[in-house]
Amino acid sequence: MLETMPSSDIAARIRNGTKIYGQGDAEIHALDGISADFQRGYFTAIMGPSGSGKSTLLHTLAGLDDLTSGEVYIGETGLGTLKDRDLTILRREKVGFVFQAFNLIPTLNAKENILLPLSIAGAKPDPEWFDQVVEAVGLSDRLDHRPSELSGGQQQRVAAARALVSKPEIVFADEPSGNLDSVASGELLDFMRRAVREFDQTIVIVTHDPVAASYADRIVFLDDGDIVDEMVDPTPGSILDQMKHLGA
Amino acid sequence: MFRAAVKGVFANKMRLTLTALAIVIGVAFVASSFVFTDTISARFDALLETTATGVDVFVRPAPPETGDTFQNTEFGSIPEETLDTVLAAPGVRIAEGGVAGFAQLVDKQGDAIGGQGPPTLGYSWSVESSMSPVGIKDGNGRGPEVAGEVAIDANSATKNDLAVGDTITVLTIGAPEEFEIVGIASFGESDSLAGATLAMFELREAQRLFDLEGQFSAISVAAEPGVTPEELAANIATTTNGDIEVVTAEQSNEEQSDAISEGLGFLNTALLAFAAVAVFVGAFIISNTFRIIVAQRTKELALFRAVGATGRQVTWLVILEALIVGLIGSIIGIGVGVLLAMGLAALMNAAGFNMPEGPLTVLPRTVIVGMAVGLIVTMVSALLPARKAARVPPVAAMNEEAARTPRRSLQVRAIWGTIILALGLVALFMGLFGSTDQDLWYVGIGSLVFFVGISVLAPLAASPIAAVIGWPLPRLFGVAGRLAQDNTMRKPRRTASTASALMIGIALVVFVAVFGASIKSSIAESVTDTLPADFTAQSTNFAIGVGPTFTEEVSALPEIGDLSGLKLGNASVEGEDTALVAVDPTTVESVTNFEVSDGAYEALGATNGILVAETLMEDKGWVVGDSISIVFPQDPGGAIEIVGTVNSADFGNYVISETTYAIGFSNPTDFFVFANRADGVDLEVARAAIDGVADAYPNVKVQNKSELIAETEAQIDQMLALFTGLLLLAIIIAVLGITNTLALSIIERTREIGLLRAVGMVQRQVRRMIRWEAVIIALFGAIMGVGVGLFLGWAVVRALADQGLGSFAIPVSQIVVLVLLAAVAGVIAAIYPSWKASRMNVLAAIAYE
Repeated sequence: MLETMPSSDIAARIRNGTKIYGQGDAEIHALDGISADFQRGYFTAIMGPSGSGKSTLLHTLAGLDDLTSGEVYIGETGLGTLKDRDLTILRREKVGFVFQAFNLIPTLNAKENILLPLSIAGAKPDPEWFDQVVEAVGLSDRLDHRPSELSGGQQQRVAAARALVSKPEIVFADEPSGNLDSVASGELLDFMRRAVREFDQTIVIVTHDPVAASYADRIVFLDDGDIVDEMVDPTPGSILDQMKHLGA
Repeated sequence: MFRAAVKGVFANKMRLTLTALAIVIGVAFVASSFVFTDTISARFDALLETTATGVDVFVRPAPPETGDTFQNTEFGSIPEETLDTVLAAPGVRIAEGGVAGFAQLVDKQGDAIGGQGPPTLGYSWSVESSMSPVGIKDGNGRGPEVAGEVAIDANSATKNDLAVGDTITVLTIGAPEEFEIVGIASFGESDSLAGATLAMFELREAQRLFDLEGQFSAISVAAEPGVTPEELAANIATTTNGDIEVVTAEQSNEEQSDAISEGLGFLNTALLAFAAVAVFVGAFIISNTFRIIVAQRTKELALFRAVGATGRQVTWLVILEALIVGLIGSIIGIGVGVLLAMGLAALMNAAGFNMPEGPLTVLPRTVIVGMAVGLIVTMVSALLPARKAARVPPVAAMNEEAARTPRRSLQVRAIWGTIILALGLVALFMGLFGSTDQDLWYVGIGSLVFFVGISVLAPLAASPIAAVIGWPLPRLFGVAGRLAQDNTMRKPRRTASTASALMIGIALVVFVAVFGASIKSSIAESVTDTLPADFTAQSTNFAIGVGPTFTEEVSALPEIGDLSGLKLGNASVEGEDTALVAVDPTTVESVTNFEVSDGAYEALGATNGILVAETLMEDKGWVVGDSISIVFPQDPGGAIEIVGTVNSADFGNYVISETTYAIGFSNPTDFFVFANRADGVDLEVARAAIDGVADAYPNVKVQNKSELIAETEAQIDQMLALFTGLLLLAIIIAVLGITNTLALSIIERTREIGLLRAVGMVQRQVRRMIRWEAVIIALFGAIMGVGVGLFLGWAVVRALADQGLGSFAIPVSQIVVLVLLAAVAGVIAAIYPSWKASRMNVLAAIAYE
């Protein structure tokens, strides 16, 4: 089924991805021949117990880490052969990021942080799109604040806006709500879901929180470096059941 | 605790290396100063011992009452008859009289050999070879036996391709003469006595050449067997009388050794002064490094507190770390210092000062002082950061917010900084303009405190100045430039203390440049104003002036009109060793424009009195007509009347007439000979005529006004280059400091840089960001340094205004170059940190702990 899907609908894919850390007895297969597609216009959550390889999957998909073997594609571009400079430019143009913490440059204000990838590229933002994103994250009146003057939730929303402002192929988020209370977490994930639904963006998050995962259209369950299950249109309850079933 | 400290030190090798390097350089400087001077001193002592001869006692003229420190040209003498008296004394086996004087060799190309460094000496040849330190080896000829023969030292012979049988011109205070080389002499196994050139003549010939007919410079005496040198000396002393002194060879050697040590002591002090600058700058770097380390390890230190360490123990942890770094740095520093001393010795040899062969002398004192300097400076520098570490609350281990120690308010800093600055200024101005006995100390300590004050205040200026310096960066380099600027502004204290180290180095270089430019401008002004003569003749030999035969020949030229010489000598005035200027009162006004009181020259000619500088008259409360006491090297002198005043800006402090000089001094040479062309003679024609005479005197140079100014300036430039070169070390240390701070800041900003890389910053942009951050810090330091240096230069030049430093000049182009160099230094300082930052593993940087 994967092979027949038109590739233009796929924002990112991994083929036979293997990632081995360490050597000899200490060898760990963080990814073990994994293959997966991430469809354009979808909000995907990757779940799995600690050590299941979910963060490694996200990092290799995002071009932050390289595979021991296998191949990753962002859109039509294979990452394996890219040099550091090209990979960096690809991240800048085609990939957005939201990390669990420390997403913002402390010396830049919210607006400058949002525009950071464009500034680095020396590119001009699309003003309409910028306004739309800022409006959606509800930060219009906070744009000239420094990160230290923003709440944790606001900081993460700035990060999300930054991830979207360059209209990337795909946005990766690593436990984006991990440090937030439930209200702030809900606001952030809600924005992410709206970005997918209303603005046709593609987001992949890694989380261990069933509530966070329930905002996604699709959940991929990982264990021992490979996909063990998938779920479409999840709810927190169904996710919990599935997790119990998987023994996670 | 100790184990933790050791681990802490070695956990980050780069940090250790850079911090230790600051100590290494300072300690190396200290150690090399000592090793170098000790080594030379020891080697000369050894040389004096090996060249020890059969002489037991020297009989010589009583020493001048005044120490002749300015020029070693005052050779006294004793009458030849003294030799008979000495020979008659009981216990004397052999006694021989000899003369010493000035003699400079001329090479085959007609150029004078040496003269700008080691002395150029002439001696009478000793026929009693058992009492002579020089000897001629088989095959190298023989000693001079008749007039017209000379023996020269082996080093001069080898270097100038001179051999037995060659004819050589020798310059003395009289007219140049030609001699036949009959022998090549050595000192035991050594070819040279510290690079001095030697010309030895038969006794009568030597007496004629040195203008010592019927005189001896000294008599060497050997004792009968069984008579000790002391007994012999006592015997001779009782039988002779007059102005003579009898000393044992041992005493004489000790005196020479002491004289060498004294000369080296000056060198040692000068080198140690530069070492002090290096250490002071190093202290800033070390302090800054430990402050950053403490800030970065807040969590770790809090953990120590949380598991039960007391605040005192945490303080000790940091101090112990400092001690370990200081120990490593000091040990390496002493080693490097020894190497440096070897390099210095090689350099001296290359410059013609042949050092005697021998081992390096590393005295325990050198090691102790070097270690003490390294350890104390490191510990003291780490003291404040260490105390700060003790204030880290245990809860900071768990809580990021608690880890932030409250910042002291800027007002407090401003007040403290101003107080320190004011104290430094007061001390500085007391030293410069006050009348304390310890001027130099006040100036030194004052500048030091002043520097500290500036560095305390610097953080207040860091953000605004960085904003101005960095203004073009965002426009030129976009976000990388913007972040470079931001990064220097976010931790003004760190930026300021990093820049402060550079500030000190730059300030001193600027100060030296301003001082030099002011001297040059003052000299150019005073030469133009006061020396209107068409030509000036000077000796190229440091030790001797222009001989009277040259002056006579020039004076006889029909193309030359007015001519007057100017002599220099050292005498003791009112018990103080001081320089005197001697002029011919009847002709001096025709070639100079020195400002003197009305009728001063006439009075000088008529009375053999003295002219005194106006400022000195005021200081001493003298008035014209007063008598002051004076002692000349060759005459006990007595009271001398002040018959007029001179403007000290143009002259020395004291002026006497040539007639008076001739009584008090034996050196008949002129320091300057000023001459004007005769009326109606073209400059070129007069120049050609005077050059015609000078051609026969290879150690005399004739210059017109602009040449004189240019050469004086070139000499000053040489001095400046030397000082600047030594101060560059301080700048190198400061640059290391920038590297260190940046490397530490980057560790602190790992996540930030990781984030920038993740969202698309290419390595080149990261490097650019760090590089420009370094450039801003360097420029900030340079700008502060230029400001402080200009101020210090201005203050010192103003303070010396009445000592001939009339004009204050700013060497603008030099300063601009210096600031640009500082920017380049910033780029160099950033090479390692920027490379490190750009190679940072993005994944590790962003991974959440």
